[in-house]
Amino acid sequence: MSDSRDQIDVVPLGNGRFQVAQGSKRTIAYAVAGRDTWVFLDGRTFVVSDTTDDARRRSSIDEQGALTAPMPATVLSINVAAGQAVKRNDVVMVLEAMKMELPIRSPRDGVVKAIRCEAGELVQPGATLVELEG
Amino acid sequence: MTSARPFDRVLIANRGEIAVRVIRACREMGIESVAVYSDADARALHTTLADVAIRIGPPPAIESYLSIDAILAAARQSGAQAVHPGYGFLSENADFASACATAGLTFIGPPAQAIEGMGSKIAARRIAVEAGVPVVPGETPADQSDDAIASAARRVGFPVLLKPSEGGGGIGMKTARSDQGLVETIAQARREAVAAFGDGTLYVERLIEQPRHVEFQILGDHHSHIVHLFERECSIQRRHQKVIEESPSPVVTALLRQRMGEAAVAVARRAGYRNAGTVEFLVEGAGDAARFYFLEMNTRLQVEHPVTEQVTGVDLVRAQIGVAAGRELPWTQQVLSQRGHAIELRIYAEDPARQDLPQAGPLLLYREPSLPGIRIDSGVREGSEVAVHYDPLLVKLIASGETRETARARALAAIRDYPILGIRTNIPLLIELLEHPKFVAGTIDTGFLDAEGDAIRARLSSSPPPEALAVAAAARAAGTMAATRSGGARPGAIDPWSSLRGTRV
Repeated sequence: MSDSRDQIDVVPLGNGRFQVAQGSKRTIAYAVAGRDTWVFLDGRTFVVSDTTDDARRRSSIDEQGALTAPMPATVLSINVAAGQAVKRNDVVMVLEAMKMELPIRSPRDGVVKAIRCEAGELVQPGATLVELEG
Repeated sequence: MTSARPFDRVLIANRGEIAVRVIRACREMGIESVAVYSDADARALHTTLADVAIRIGPPPAIESYLSIDAILAAARQSGAQAVHPGYGFLSENADFASACATAGLTFIGPPAQAIEGMGSKIAARRIAVEAGVPVVPGETPADQSDDAIASAARRVGFPVLLKPSEGGGGIGMKTARSDQGLVETIAQARREAVAAFGDGTLYVERLIEQPRHVEFQILGDHHSHIVHLFERECSIQRRHQKVIEESPSPVVTALLRQRMGEAAVAVARRAGYRNAGTVEFLVEGAGDAARFYFLEMNTRLQVEHPVTEQVTGVDLVRAQIGVAAGRELPWTQQVLSQRGHAIELRIYAEDPARQDLPQAGPLLLYREPSLPGIRIDSGVREGSEVAVHYDPLLVKLIASGETRETARARALAAIRDYPILGIRTNIPLLIELLEHPKFVAGTIDTGFLDAEGDAIRARLSSSPPPEALAVAAAARAAGTMAATRSGGARPGAIDPWSSLRGTRV
């Protein structure tokens, strides 16, 4: 993700429209988030499973029990400390991307093993934010 | 046409895009439109657009849109003077046309006798023969011996199809390409006919190879004028459901067009036809020497009528209403012309990646493209609920241009900019078809989609690219944000009815 040509920037234009920028290439996409997220991009429709526990686990936690950043974002606040017990759906931290807040929720009950980022830090997709155990 | 309106009030006995199309024509003509709707369509586009809307029954069509009693009752209740049947449902039902007449209503379509005459394939074939129009050569030999069937095959001309006389659906059909092995093929066909239908009687028909489906639009008035409005090419179909239509046909030459147009008018005249109708032909070969055969006549406005409207400049629905009111056709054959090219794409609520599985659900997001040369005939809007009860046709996109290639490029650009979210549609398949080398070259025959459809569909199912995932993440983030601010509603939950209110139309 360090090569700027690989960076995908998505800018919400409002009313379900998004501008997708990759280097100097720009495309308009449309999306509606719900239980599934529907995306229309260049004549193709994709359904990205989202809020089910399964998908949430796939998208934001890896096998080692780490919460990862879903998109390029700034860490706005960290609501937990190492050793603290958390419940499923607790907001452990809030990211900010594209002038929007993105709460990161715990996918399950557990204990925070380590915090791997700091408030104000810019994180890239896939970067580990918090490690959970239990 | 004269400026006085032909009717004060017209009932539209249909739903979806065609009901919307007729309502708009009525509005232009200063006629009050009366919509009918089933419970499934209480909030449908056609129900809300019409001047008056009357409930006719529960969702199943047999109890609503196919109920002659319910529709006549709605006509009485609304004080409508005429009924437009659209296509499908009761549009080719001679009993309905008669019942309208008995109830003192003008049926905006052909006379009941013409519907009846063309409703039977055998009667329609006889009418075509009487009109001197070629039909696919074939006969059921009275003598069913091997020798008699073999000589019938030679008379009809190779290649021939040997079909069970009692059959249908392609079961037990055998092809013979020459005298060689003919007797064995006849014996085999007879055995299969007996096995499938308990009757070994064989029908011998000329096999039309790589046929193209070309149809002519007909319009007749009550003053003995019948004109044709040129052809539509409808060869891209699957299991006899059309997917893309265009006018002119890429294979019809000027000479062939003239001969086919005259044949279509002859069939319509022989059938005592009035109002709008379509004469369908199979075309074999290419160029001036191509042969054509009468297939059937559709006694209604066709789904694909807009391509004719785009190239002739004629509004067929207005013409239908005018003719039904007894007005003369305002044009002669000589003043009608075909200008430029038009291509229609049928957008269906079905998943092309999964055997065209019909889709149902809410249209969470629906945005029509607005580009030069693009016409959208839609039966839905953002927030509409697509129900399982009816035909899966949602919308027709019609692209026009001075050349076929311009129209094709416009269709492609528009369909790529046509987001419909909440259900799957066949848009990815339409894109593949528009880009297919055979479509670009204009050489597609009616067997194309059934033969190559699987290979095309295999390209459609793929996992989302990173760009789509990034958009999904952004949409989820936006959805979560909105939910957080509004006090913890279910993240991303969207009520299309409430979200519509903020939409600028």
